[in-house]
Amino acid sequence: MCPERIAATVDVVIEVRELTKRYGATVAVDRLSFTVEPGYVTGFLGPNGAGKSTTMRMILGLDRPTEGEALVNGSRYAVSKRPMNEVGALLDASAVHGGRTAVNHLRCLARSNGIGDARVAAVLDEVGLREVAGRRVGGFSLGMRQRLGIAAALLGDPGVVLFDEPVNGLDPEGIRWIRDLMRALAHEGRTVLVSSHLMSEMALTADRVLVVGRGSLIADTSIAELAEQYRKDVFVRTGADADLARLLRSEGARVDEVPGGGLAVAGMSSPRISELAFAAGILPHELTPRSASLEDAYLDITDDAVEYRAQGGSR
Amino acid sequence: MTDVVASEWLKVRTVRSTFWLLAATAAVFVIGCVVSVMMVADWDSAPPGDQASFGSADMSVMVLPFMMFSLGALGALAITAEYGSGMIRPALVSVPKRLRLLTAKAVVVGVIGLAAGLVLSSAMLFAVDVIVGDRPAPIAAWPSISDGVPYVLASSVTVMVVALVGLGLGTAIRSAAGSLVTMTVLLYVLPVAVFFLPASWSTNLSAVLLLNLPHQLAGDLPGMPLSQAGAAAALAAYVVLALGAAAVSIGKRDA
Repeated sequence: MCPERIAATVDVVIEVRELTKRYGATVAVDRLSFTVEPGYVTGFLGPNGAGKSTTMRMILGLDRPTEGEALVNGSRYAVSKRPMNEVGALLDASAVHGGRTAVNHLRCLARSNGIGDARVAAVLDEVGLREVAGRRVGGFSLGMRQRLGIAAALLGDPGVVLFDEPVNGLDPEGIRWIRDLMRALAHEGRTVLVSSHLMSEMALTADRVLVVGRGSLIADTSIAELAEQYRKDVFVRTGADADLARLLRSEGARVDEVPGGGLAVAGMSSPRISELAFAAGILPHELTPRSASLEDAYLDITDDAVEYRAQGGSR
Repeated sequence: MTDVVASEWLKVRTVRSTFWLLAATAAVFVIGCVVSVMMVADWDSAPPGDQASFGSADMSVMVLPFMMFSLGALGALAITAEYGSGMIRPALVSVPKRLRLLTAKAVVVGVIGLAAGLVLSSAMLFAVDVIVGDRPAPIAAWPSISDGVPYVLASSVTVMVVALVGLGLGTAIRSAAGSLVTMTVLLYVLPVAVFFLPASWSTNLSAVLLLNLPHQLAGDLPGMPLSQAGAAAALAAYVVLALGAAAVSIGKRDA
């Protein structure tokens, strides 16, 4: 690889360009383009059937795109020279041969990349499956299979990890564990792409979210921006914003001036704001409660996509 | 490539179906020994006139078709188990170059097929030799044990080919049931179906059936339709067709 090429791709580890996947008349992924950078947990968020898993499979070279391309470190993953060291993936935790023991399952995968048994033992330790390493995977609970799948993804000490719905089937302790794990992986400078249909989960884990619906990108934003955009507050516009702001602050509200006019008031109900404005002789021109949690924000931005798909399905 | 072969070898070793298929083949060998012993006992008690009309006590007529099916199933399961469980995806994430994965599987399946064929065919040759003792033809399959060696080698090669055909079918069909049914048709149904065709077709087609190739490859029976080279070419064609279809299927289709 020439140096210029490295320089051009150093900050973009996963690059998806105009990626499209059609199954007959059904469009699963529709000209999807995004990039994923290292050092962050990037959430890949969307309702069930939005095309998240299909996109991940195309990134991994498992499914062939109808159009467009998906690149990992500047080239297609299908031609990777050191696959497990480049990418680790958890797709479907139940996709294991039930007759193999946990340790043998991992050894089979590890051996294909020349990874030794010491590393297998280390990842089993890391995911907390050491005690059950000799047991057949067929008897594992979904949570244990998720841990095994994560162990498999970590075997090659990969620079990129892709997790598809990793918290499914995990208990609260397990959910916290994987949250911490993903944040730690990102903190080490790795590229972490994790899909979920739960905004609440992504809010606690991801730095940035890509929201998809009907196979298209709906939003590409940071969690902070999304929270800012959709936080729970009251929007007030008056002829005397500055006076009202001072008044409301003295009554204990958090007030921010909105660029372009108006106040964003948090920590105070709209009847109370209206009472105080009335008492001070300030006439509110507009007083709008904005009550959107991140979950609401997510539902709001994916709403059209879901609706459209339901109509499409009934054709 | 060595790593991928080592991985596939470990995969085959760590599933119970491998053990059961080989154990079942060994069990049929034991039954074959019993049948041979009974044939020889029957021969001993038959009047000399009837003795001349006996078939040989070679148990391979019974054991070899079963061994072919077992090893064909082993070949098919080497990949259908992965498609069936979904393990094919983690496998292809670990080894994204698909032809490399298929080649590694073919190496492992082929070696197991050849080794199992050699071990069991040799065991049959020695067992029949011991059971028959110094009795003459027709109950003795071969004048001396060394005359049976070409057939042992030819049987082993054919078993290896059947195992690879199983892998090819499994890769193209992806389902264990579908592959095993197709395998059954190839090994057992076609020979019967061919029997109902016009005589000229029947002879030509049955010559290239897997069950009929070992003796033609060994060249140890008179009046066979194919030469040894012809039998070798037929076996090679099976491998090329099956693995070719597998390569196209694994290369083109979504996993």
